[in-house]
Amino acid sequence: MIIKKIKILNSMGLHARPAAQFVKIASNYKSNVYISRNDREVNGKSIMGVMTLAAEMGSELTIKVDGHDEKQALAALVDLVNHKFNEE
Amino acid sequence: MNNSIINSKQMVRLKGIAASPGIVIGKVFTLTGDVVKVEERNISPEQVSNEVEKFNRAIELTLNELAEIQDQAKQKIGKEGEKIFNAHQLLLDDKIINEETIRKIQKDCKNADFAYYQVMQKFQSSLEGVDNEYFMGRVADIRDVKRRLIRNIQGKEPHYLNGLTNPAIIVAHDLTPSDTVVLDRQKVLAFATDRGGRTSHAAIMARSLEIPSVVGLKNITEIVETGDTIIVDGTEGIAIINPNSSEMNRYVKLREQYHEITKELSKIRDLPCRTLDGKDVELSANLEFPGEINSIITYGARGIGLFRTENLYLTKTELPTEEEQFDEYYKVAEKVSPYPVIIRTLDIGGDKKSPIFEIPEEDNPFLGWRAIRLCLEKVELFKTQLSAILRASVMGNVKIMFPMISCLEEIYQAKKIFAQVKDELRSRKTPFDENIEIGVMIEIPSAAIMADIIAEEVDFLSIGTNDLIQYTLAVDRGNVRVANLYKRLPPSVLRTIKSVVHAGHSKGVWIGMCGEMAADPLATLILLGLDLDELSVSPSMLPEVKKIIRTITFQDAEKIADKALQMKTSEQVETYIRNVMSTRYKLTIN
Repeated sequence: MIIKKIKILNSMGLHARPAAQFVKIASNYKSNVYISRNDREVNGKSIMGVMTLAAEMGSELTIKVDGHDEKQALAALVDLVNHKFNEE
Repeated sequence: MNNSIINSKQMVRLKGIAASPGIVIGKVFTLTGDVVKVEERNISPEQVSNEVEKFNRAIELTLNELAEIQDQAKQKIGKEGEKIFNAHQLLLDDKIINEETIRKIQKDCKNADFAYYQVMQKFQSSLEGVDNEYFMGRVADIRDVKRRLIRNIQGKEPHYLNGLTNPAIIVAHDLTPSDTVVLDRQKVLAFATDRGGRTSHAAIMARSLEIPSVVGLKNITEIVETGDTIIVDGTEGIAIINPNSSEMNRYVKLREQYHEITKELSKIRDLPCRTLDGKDVELSANLEFPGEINSIITYGARGIGLFRTENLYLTKTELPTEEEQFDEYYKVAEKVSPYPVIIRTLDIGGDKKSPIFEIPEEDNPFLGWRAIRLCLEKVELFKTQLSAILRASVMGNVKIMFPMISCLEEIYQAKKIFAQVKDELRSRKTPFDENIEIGVMIEIPSAAIMADIIAEEVDFLSIGTNDLIQYTLAVDRGNVRVANLYKRLPPSVLRTIKSVVHAGHSKGVWIGMCGEMAADPLATLILLGLDLDELSVSPSMLPEVKKIIRTITFQDAEKIADKALQMKTSEQVETYIRNVMSTRYKLTIN
């Protein structure tokens, strides 16, 4: 299992469309993906979960990935966040 | 305590959020159907597979319903309405939610609607305490999906609005986007709700459907019942339940006034901007923020003559992405269609400082690194914007305009980059308008002098008078020591305008104006007489400028412009025009 802290950089925060993107990418991998904010943890493959984190710009999140393709999954998700969900 | 109340019911005045303008007095219809009742039941292990099957069928049914509603939204509201329901479909398709629900049915042996309700509630409650209008707005979306699915699990009729037989004011806890779309416009006079904000999807739809609405009234559903009389003031954000006679009279008058104003506006709004002898002038509006687009249309603009894109850059702490820009441009183009929208590329620097990139201190910022000069150096930034504009041009009504052009070389460079971006889009197979018109602003004297040469390279010219006056007179209007030298109608600038129009027309391009002078009623007759093809003005000035143009013949305007250009000082021009307008046309101008 690997864990990484990230920061939301896009101005609208992790709202509906970015949340959908996050979920889509997370779902491409076999590993379990969890994402948490202020001690609340949700499944990273659920749009409902990710959206209800209500992560605004600047909020710090922890991504936890567990599975045999965890490295690739984490890299893809971190890349998405750091590129501010560029390709929406 | 108070014996003077004639109504058996107490008058209650509530303050909420003005979501969609207009004043309506009518009878209440409460939307009780928006409360879902879910009972917890234990089911036997034999029933489990049946219950899971029921849940899956309900999802399928709901997806079909949503597709139908999405279709209606597309027809009534457009692309924006359609998009809202994309998110609803995603929510309904959430694997985690659905798997958890099924697990709950199987493990806990609970009924499907209860299992789903509990799972959704767990997530939804975490959003309710959030102090961010955007995320709060999404709660309504989640409730909408939840309610619809639960109703389908329970096999209930979705059309609880059938009880609405006479036109009424809908009072509900929270209007969901799908309610707003499917309601019969003929029977809905207004909305008043407990929840919601100006940016909730239902509020956005109410505005585009022109249904007066007040939202965020907190507990109105607890106070009213169907049949009560209510006043909804969507302009001020007020709801008055069981108004007494004096309040009633006051609002009947206010409603009349509101109708008068909108009628007066709409009278001139729908009339063509045409002189007495039949010459048409394009009268469009300047757009500062995309959000103003609806009020601009209310004022009767036929198109946007200047869409300032700076605010996309100035109000943010990061550069806007191509996607963000495309969204904004496309939205505006779609709203304005079939009338044109002229998008001006980034005009930053000078007095417009951005928090995003450093513009070093300069001794003469107005003669320094700004607008097109900056863009030609920051090519990537420029390309991102050009690409977004080009993609939005698929609407077919988009034109592009470069600001602060001082010489031909800049046009060559800008066009070269523009062609590169077009090539990139073609190779990505991204569609855009191959015939998109290119224009430049004429706001620097050197460009005005070379207007005939410049006109050979473009499709239109737009005269920016604020900078043209400042650069022609060499006066910084913000400097109080010299501000008195900044004139409203300097003859030097009027002559320049005349020669630019002449140069442009001789090369077959059209000439517009988008500076403050275009909106100055004192200048209207002159500009009309100088044969400008388009005037782009601030929205609130549209009716007045149009009124003046409609009062005169083009022939007379030409004579007046001729005479005005013979004047020797700005004061003489002003006196002459005031005189003509008041004596001949009974028009007074401040």
